[in-house]
Amino acid sequence: MKRLVLRDLSKTYFDPYAGAHVTAVQEVSLEVQQGEFVSIVGPSGCGKTTLLNMIAGFIPASGGEILLDGRAVDGPGPERGVVFQSFALFPWKTVLDNVAFGPKIRGLSKAECERIAREYLALAGLAHAADRYPNELSGGMQQRVGVVRALANNPDVLLMDEPFASVDAQTRMTLQEELTRIWQERRPTIIFITHDVGEAVFLANRVVVLSKGRILKEIAVPLPRPRAWDLLTEDAAFKALSGQVLQLVRSA
Amino acid sequence: MTPLLKAWSLYARWTARYPAVRSIVPFIPLVALWAIVAESELFPRAFFPGPLDVVRSFGTLVYKGILPDYLEDSIVRLAVGTAAGIALGIPLGVLVGLSPRAHALLWPILLFFQAIGDIAWLPILLIWFGFSLTTMTIVIVYTVLFPVVLNTALGVRSVPLELHRAAQSLGASRARIVWEVVLPGALPNIMTGLRNGLGYGWRALIAAEIIVGTSGIGFLMFDARRAGSVVEILLGMIVLGLLWYIVDGWVLAPIERATGERWGLVTR
Repeated sequence: MKRLVLRDLSKTYFDPYAGAHVTAVQEVSLEVQQGEFVSIVGPSGCGKTTLLNMIAGFIPASGGEILLDGRAVDGPGPERGVVFQSFALFPWKTVLDNVAFGPKIRGLSKAECERIAREYLALAGLAHAADRYPNELSGGMQQRVGVVRALANNPDVLLMDEPFASVDAQTRMTLQEELTRIWQERRPTIIFITHDVGEAVFLANRVVVLSKGRILKEIAVPLPRPRAWDLLTEDAAFKALSGQVLQLVRSA
Repeated sequence: MTPLLKAWSLYARWTARYPAVRSIVPFIPLVALWAIVAESELFPRAFFPGPLDVVRSFGTLVYKGILPDYLEDSIVRLAVGTAAGIALGIPLGVLVGLSPRAHALLWPILLFFQAIGDIAWLPILLIWFGFSLTTMTIVIVYTVLFPVVLNTALGVRSVPLELHRAAQSLGASRARIVWEVVLPGALPNIMTGLRNGLGYGWRALIAAEIIVGTSGIGFLMFDARRAGSVVEILLGMIVLGLLWYIVDGWVLAPIERATGERWGLVTR
């Protein structure tokens, strides 16, 4: 079992405008089991993106440790895939080459890279767009590419930083449903950052509410799968859970 | 009204079929004006020859083999100088763009030497290397180098942080990121640098040829001055303009269309 463990993780940095040290993340401890889908939700400025950037290895922690499969995280690595809010696709690569990038870096043969990329593109319903460039796609399609590009590299953990925040509301619901479907099929470990309470509950097995850099509460989401917005919008259990999380976030 | 409309529809049809027509048509009134002024004999013919005189001189010089030889000399010099300038400039630009330490160390030096114009080097180069190909090559490399370095550095720094991070978290090494992310991301800026560099290099070459003077288009023009042949001077000027047009239309613009514009990094 490849577990992700955060132990007393902290991040302080110097804010030149305030002229003081600011604590963005404070002694966060969290365990994520293999195959789990965890949402981290909180208002803007609660430190959720800082937390994700530390797990991804983009910024160093000020204190505490991050262990993946028992090994300390030091810098970015392919075992932790990242999906960005801004998609961060390579504009000069076709959709196929974007998705094949991870396997290519791993040194797989050209044919093998293409086979993997096509398989994952099909998973996201993007087989027809393989030869297009990212700027020729809609935002929703670009983020589908962003998700499968990370998945195609077969990471131990998939880190998603408000990935659906910059697409329109209808597309967002479709993407959320697709993500739950893909999760059920492939069972990747996912840490999903969002400020949207409904999204956090809809997607995850467990919702972690973050406030002022600390974990306020962890809430299990035992809703049945497959999940679909048509069914859940009026579902009493979903509404109760969302209400509970919303209250926590607003009190934060 | 009808003939005008007819002419317009003809123009539209021809430009649709042969896009090159579009770049020739604007010159028609220009050349016509030139012809009219020349034919009016407002100025003595030897001082202000018409387009036909230049075409005739073009024919003569091509026939004698002078123009093709000189043209070849100029183009080879420019190509060699540009290739060297790019080979030095892009790696240097990437280094300065990526490494804050290299930036702190090299940027002031780059700015200082950029200010010393290419031709300002000619006096000292002439003392060191004489009236030689080395002198000319150094001047061109020098001229091409700075726009390429400065624009490459700018382009490297304009690649979004997220793209670096995306590549890192897909397992790419630093060298791999330079090749797969930094260089393509900086390419539109590199092309701008190249365009400027080539433009300046072309001018520097003509100036160097005038001063160093053994062959080339610049030499042709300066030599014509000595003989008082305005026709040949005009011919040289037109060749310069045409050559730039060709370099732009056949080399630079296609590269830009296939890269930055295709990728949506540059809006048309």
